[in-house]
Amino acid sequence: MAGVELKKIVKKYGNTQVVHGIDLVVEEKEFVVLVGPSGCAKSTTLRMVAGLEEITGGEITIDGRVCNTIAPKDRDVAMVFQNYALYPHLNVYENIAFGLRIRKEKKANIEASVEEVAEILGLTEYLERRPADLSGGQRQRVAMGRAIVRHPKVFLFDEPLSNLDAKLRTQMRAEIKRLHKRLGVTSIYVTHDQVEAMTLADRIVVMQDGRIEQIGTPMELFNNPVNTFVAGFIGSPPMNQIDAEVQKSSTGYFVEIDGAKIKLPKLKELEGAEGKTVVVGLRPEHFELGKVKGLNNLPVELDLVETLGSEALLHAMVANTPFVVKAETNGSIDHLEDISTVSINTDLIKVFDKETGLAMGHPTSTNS
Amino acid sequence: MENMQNRMSWLKEHLRNEWQIYVMLAPTIIWFIVFLYKPMYGLQIAFKDYSIFRGVANSPWVGFEHFHTLFGSDQFLRAVKNTFMISMLSLCFGFPMPIILALMFNEITNQVFKKTAQTIVYLPHFISTVIIAGIVITAFSPSAGIVNTFLEWLGFESIYFLIKPEWFRPIFIGSGIWQEAGFSSIVFLAAIAGVSPSLYESAVVDGASRWQMMWKITLPAILPTIIIMLIIRIGNLLEVGFELIILLYQPSTYSTGDVINTLIYRQGLQGAQYDLAAAAGLFNATVAFVLVMTANTISKRYSRTSLW
Repeated sequence: MAGVELKKIVKKYGNTQVVHGIDLVVEEKEFVVLVGPSGCAKSTTLRMVAGLEEITGGEITIDGRVCNTIAPKDRDVAMVFQNYALYPHLNVYENIAFGLRIRKEKKANIEASVEEVAEILGLTEYLERRPADLSGGQRQRVAMGRAIVRHPKVFLFDEPLSNLDAKLRTQMRAEIKRLHKRLGVTSIYVTHDQVEAMTLADRIVVMQDGRIEQIGTPMELFNNPVNTFVAGFIGSPPMNQIDAEVQKSSTGYFVEIDGAKIKLPKLKELEGAEGKTVVVGLRPEHFELGKVKGLNNLPVELDLVETLGSEALLHAMVANTPFVVKAETNGSIDHLEDISTVSINTDLIKVFDKETGLAMGHPTSTNS
Repeated sequence: MENMQNRMSWLKEHLRNEWQIYVMLAPTIIWFIVFLYKPMYGLQIAFKDYSIFRGVANSPWVGFEHFHTLFGSDQFLRAVKNTFMISMLSLCFGFPMPIILALMFNEITNQVFKKTAQTIVYLPHFISTVIIAGIVITAFSPSAGIVNTFLEWLGFESIYFLIKPEWFRPIFIGSGIWQEAGFSSIVFLAAIAGVSPSLYESAVVDGASRWQMMWKITLPAILPTIIIMLIIRIGNLLEVGFELIILLYQPSTYSTGDVINTLIYRQGLQGAQYDLAAAAGLFNATVAFVLVMTANTISKRYSRTSLW
């Protein structure tokens, strides 16, 4: 097994720079997810690790070996593509065996390896079928099979679940997670879906415009986003972000939102910040319904209640900004429609600098 | 009855809503009717003692007499044999060439070289057959032709290629390949362009060389196109490009160069035996129809690819 290290990686297409010197260490056996919006260069980064894109600057190390100029086939990585990249003229067996045949493995070894992989992925009964005769989930499994049959040092996944419907995606997500636990191969996974990132990753790398915004475990990113971008990207629904002016009282710093005083947590950066505009971050999950003594109470006028089953999303406008609260339904939404106040604990409030977007009082800096 | 009425009302409604589509389709249908279906009326002269003075309708029926005449004629049997020989040789040597060219173009990474090479091989397609024949005649001329000049330079005697029956077929097929292989490769290049790049990327990661990718990805991926083109080609097997033959052959090369179409031309137009020529043409078309049906059925059964 092997780790992957990216040092000051730069990628330029002509005069356009798309990756701006990123640093990342993926530990052995770790499952790291690169997540970000379209065009943030997450796929480009993955393709540079695979060797499908040349790097303009920096150094890529796989298992301690610098791979900048090493051909993809010699990097000992396997890649699963978004569209599965299955050969339509080959059946499942031949698709899985393709890489081994190319490497001129012995026929008996190929047969044993393919059968083992088919067993792991539940493809044994489909070995004679062609990709066109398989469902999306089965095709995805074949693509996985093709990757794992070679026992590579590193798995690279480029949005492998994007073409599946929501139900199948959830199912396949669990299968990938299970497979990683079973095989323990270092994996780098690219997705734009933060739910996929949160559920799969040991660590998440949030990217934007060819730069890494934050690296951390899913809960680190959820609880301590380093800036407003990460706060807005991680979490579903995303964190509510409201602009407000810092005020000071005898008990500490607070902001006033729609006439309600919201006490801010004790942060060194807030000292002397009276009159300054900050972004107040409030997670939809952190609210309690109704007025609660000892908490910050915020008046809301609901305009929509979205039912998700066990939970519901309460939509409102707060300080002229769309605002969402997540609440448990307990089997009914009747009691939710009359909500006029929600409450939040001061310790759960995040404060961001309006100008830089950076979180105040964040325990770590970026690009750890 | 009610079912019929329902269908008619559906058709009326359909035409009212979708008339624009049928207007766009009309020119093609009209072209087919005027130039392909209406002339079929004249096919009956293959079974008549046709006279241009009596016309098609008033000429007397003679049954299969013309076919008996044809199959009893050495000239016709020779033409059938030559047609098959030239067609089969063209198929064997001419059909793979565009595929090979397309695969080669696909492997060229230098764009300037690729475009230049493509232009050079496409150009002969746009040259008139008469000029092609002129170029061939000049190139193979025994006195000043480039081929004979080269042969003499190598120490061989010059050969009068165009009057020797054994050289007619190679020259005809070779010039046909030179003229059409490049242009025909466009279809296969288009098919190659449709192959998902991720298949190649996946193969690269798996360790495939360019040669392996060509054999194991590109060629199988364009196989349906190859089969479709092959079926079409088989359908046109007897449609040997007779303009070039007429321009190149002479009585001394009739033994290897005279094909059904040139025979029809000589007998039908030059000899005014329209009924006999129509019988030969009908035979030609029937064989072509059987060939294309057979090829399509075989392809459908074994490769899941077919024209219809």
